[in-house]
Amino acid sequence: MLLQLNNIFKWVKTGGQQTFLLKDINFNVEEGEFISIMGPSGSGKTTLLNVIGMLDGFNEGEYNFMDESVHDLKEKHRADLYKRYIGFVFQSYHLLDELTVQENLEMPLLYKKLKGSERKAMVADMLDRFNIVGKKDLFPTQLSGGQQQLVGIARALISNPKLILADEPTGNLNSSQGEEIMGIFKELNEEGVTIIQVTHSEKNAEYGTRTINLLDGRMV
Amino acid sequence: MLKNYLKIAWRSLRKRPLYACINILGLFAGIAFVLLIGAYVWQEYHVNRSLKNADNQYILTSKWTDQNMGPDFVSLGPPAAILKETYPHLVANYYRWDGIRSVVVKENTKLREGIQIGDPSLLDQFGFELLQGDASTVFNEPFSLVITEEKAIKYFGKVQVVGETVAIENFSGALQDFKITGVLADLNENSISYINDAYNGFFIAKNSSQFFDRADFDNWELPIFLSYVELQPSVTPKDLEQPLRNILNDHASEGTRNNLTIVPVKLTDYYLNKNSGLVKRMLYTLGFIGLFIIGMAIINFINIAVSFSSDRMREIGIRKVLGGKKKQLVFQFLAESIILVSIATFLAVGAYPFLGGLFEQVIGKEIIPLSAFPGYFIAIPFFIALTIGLVAGVYPAFILSALQPIQSLKGKLQISSKTIFVRKLLVGFQFTLALVVLIAAFLITKQIDFFFEKDLGYQKEYLVSAATPRDWTEDGVKKMITIRNEFETLPEVSNASLSYEIPNGNNGFQLQLYRSDASSESKVVSQGMMIDENYLDTYQIPLLAGAVFEKGVPNADAVLINEQAVKSLGFESPEMAIGKQLKNVNQEEPLTVVGVIGNIHFESLHTPIKPQVYVDVKAALYYRYFTFKLRPGNMQGQLAMIKSKWQELMPNAPFKFDFFDETLATLYTNELQLRKASYSASVLAFIIVLLGVFGLVSLSIQKRIKEIGVRKVLGASKRNISQLFVKEFAVVMVFAIVFAIPLSYYIITLWLQNYVYKITIGFSAFFWGILIVAGTSLMLIFIQTLKASNNKVIDNLKTE
Ligand SMILES: Nc1ncnc2c1ncn2[C@@H]1O[C@H](COP(=O)(O)OP(=O)(O)OP(=O)(O)O)[C@@H](O)[C@H]1O
Ligand SMILES: [Mg+2]
Repeated sequence: MLLQLNNIFKWVKTGGQQTFLLKDINFNVEEGEFISIMGPSGSGKTTLLNVIGMLDGFNEGEYNFMDESVHDLKEKHRADLYKRYIGFVFQSYHLLDELTVQENLEMPLLYKKLKGSERKAMVADMLDRFNIVGKKDLFPTQLSGGQQQLVGIARALISNPKLILADEPTGNLNSSQGEEIMGIFKELNEEGVTIIQVTHSEKNAEYGTRTINLLDGRMV
Repeated sequence: MLKNYLKIAWRSLRKRPLYACINILGLFAGIAFVLLIGAYVWQEYHVNRSLKNADNQYILTSKWTDQNMGPDFVSLGPPAAILKETYPHLVANYYRWDGIRSVVVKENTKLREGIQIGDPSLLDQFGFELLQGDASTVFNEPFSLVITEEKAIKYFGKVQVVGETVAIENFSGALQDFKITGVLADLNENSISYINDAYNGFFIAKNSSQFFDRADFDNWELPIFLSYVELQPSVTPKDLEQPLRNILNDHASEGTRNNLTIVPVKLTDYYLNKNSGLVKRMLYTLGFIGLFIIGMAIINFINIAVSFSSDRMREIGIRKVLGGKKKQLVFQFLAESIILVSIATFLAVGAYPFLGGLFEQVIGKEIIPLSAFPGYFIAIPFFIALTIGLVAGVYPAFILSALQPIQSLKGKLQISSKTIFVRKLLVGFQFTLALVVLIAAFLITKQIDFFFEKDLGYQKEYLVSAATPRDWTEDGVKKMITIRNEFETLPEVSNASLSYEIPNGNNGFQLQLYRSDASSESKVVSQGMMIDENYLDTYQIPLLAGAVFEKGVPNADAVLINEQAVKSLGFESPEMAIGKQLKNVNQEEPLTVVGVIGNIHFESLHTPIKPQVYVDVKAALYYRYFTFKLRPGNMQGQLAMIKSKWQELMPNAPFKFDFFDETLATLYTNELQLRKASYSASVLAFIIVLLGVFGLVSLSIQKRIKEIGVRKVLGASKRNISQLFVKEFAVVMVFAIVFAIPLSYYIITLWLQNYVYKITIGFSAFFWGILIVAGTSLMLIFIQTLKASNNKVIDNLKTE
């Protein structure tokens, strides 16, 4: 089992009032699954994904990632988990504008302390795989949204993660670009990568093996 | 319109308090310091300028063919008087004085004071203001005395003291009542009553000079008087050249005539230029420091303004899109910078009285209060606010207003690599200057420590000196020797010595010696000292050959000489000098060398050790000091014992002692001040550098906040994040260090050229300077970024 959420609650206090963002979330994810999280706007999808990705905390319940209790994790250890197991894909890409495509791809490898030659090989491999070799020396601002998201996915994949977390990866893209991205996800999933995506689109959700529906922070 | 600009500027600053505070703090430090320096420079430039007819007042200085023949600020007595008598169309007035220190007694108050015995023209020539008394008659009667307001209050507790009397002691120990006929308003610093940092508060005319057996202004062999002339309007010092030459030729002895030129120096220039321009150099140094500090503050301002502007890109874009003209944007920015500078200036003026106190300690001199400046000086703060505001604001204003609207709307400052380069250059400049100042401060300290730690040829530990009362007669000396022996019986005192000189740079007379077997052409100018037979033991100066003076009998023709004199006179060894005869120019009787002693640093380490000749105080009959060598132990207790013995033996003399470190400190007043000044400048520079770094790093973090989040998601640790920023600044620092090392080395080498005895510059000052500046800056960066990367990742990413 890759991860397990038991009775997760998350709330914020606003003006003395408790507002629940997540209520009693329970589910397990096995390796190799492709899960879609759906729900209306404001239902807590992004919040849930951030909790799973350990970008954000929770208030109550238990969360185990690869048999380790996330609650007890130290900051440093968490950074290790990102490095080794998790890749993120964001709706707004979050590429670094000052770095070229190539350098953006290389960054996660720097933090894994790989040798220069190894890094080069891996970056070249990714550029090739996503068909963006010609763009390697461009800056993100010089790319279209679809191309940027390709780079974002490539960056998420470069460190060979077990799990990819994607928050509306096609949200800013046109439909043909979106289909291309979803195709890539499907391929990856078939290679054994676990994927959890947040999406508004039924069509995109169909690429997945399972759908979790949220309403007001609760699974339905 | 203007009001509108100011209003908007004010609002926009209030929205960004951190930005405003950092800038105000930096500017405040810079401006406050510059105000103080400005006030000091102004004050120093005004020394002697408030004298009556200041432009016509001249001091007669002496230029000797050999510097050792006499100091330059004193001269012969007669020429000034003859000038006025013979050339009344050139010289309107003259004043000469002889300075003595003696005990002034008023009931139980008994203090040693500086007393000035001079011509009665004092008040008339210089226009000193009398609070009480009639300027035209104050010196009519013998034993009249004019004192300053300060002394009146010190002795009487009030200013209305005309008609009161105080007693003054002469050098034979006799007391004489003097009647106070005038009270002077406290004098601004001037070169008439202040000379060489000592100032006089008691003024006596020469009609009382006989009592002191001094002020023999008619003597042609005594070049020891301060002498001033007031020239007639439109007369230049050049007009005096020939008359002065003629006067010397007509009256002076051959030795004087051939070696002395009297040079009139305008008093307004004299103060700034004396001691080879020491004051002037100090003013230039301070001015440079002031410029440097204010420069740093302005650079910071520019840096931070440009940096923080990315916050305001959108505002700029919208203004532009809405039709704002470039000119209006420039004005808007200038208004902001002027407001910031004005606040800083206002605070700086407010802080003047407090910081002034600190500054006085650094400078070692009182600094005039704000109220003492002329009224129109009120315009200066406004002027500063406006000028600095414009200078500091103009660059950011143009950079920002020249942006393309589309860039600004995107909220992104597309900083060109050139701009980044300029910005780093400026920060690098700050680093460099801070490093230079700190390294210099360390090396100045090292040189000063060297002054106090260097082997001076004598042992200054446990040495205490105290001024004796004066009775320069045979009986007087005998009595002092008896008293000296009494002191030596105290268990607290291991040695006691009576002498005219102590090693504080002031020696009594010069001798021009040559060997009896050589011609007078080979004469060696030597410092003459008057000491007793205990001097060597007290100071622990080694005796290299021969013997010291005999006890009991005056040794009129016997002299001790130092090693340097042995060399200068051309003896092969100390032993070879013993028993040899020396002749003093203008003196029949030869002197016999009875002993050779080790070299001691009698003067400061600026100058090389000179040939010295020691004569027996018992024969010379001049003495000024007791020196005591205490035994190790409780100093305070020992001094108390000496004091009570002193009061028992010499009930009329005040007991005031100095440890030798204090005596030495007077030799190095300027250096000690320079050290304080350089440390103050370092602290200031340091603050400004840190503020600059702080401002830039905050900006950098703000700009890269999203990047921090992304990097963390991709596996960066907190350390990785900090390193990112540290690296950015480290490059700049390395460059700064590369420039700072040779620059500070050069400056200090230049400074050290003032000293004959000096430190080797070495490596450690650089090491510590760099370590402190770079270390602290890096630490600041590290802490700041650590805090920034402590955020929850999600908060970073949300910031769009
Ligand atoms: N820190 C917070 N403080 C208060 N409310 C929050 C906070 N974070 C999220 N919320 C609220 O929680 C709810 C869920 O937000 P979330 O971003 O998870 O929704 P979402 O399902 O991703 O919506 P969308 O489809 O629009 O992206 C929203 O109503 C949001 O306003
Ligand atoms: Mg969302």
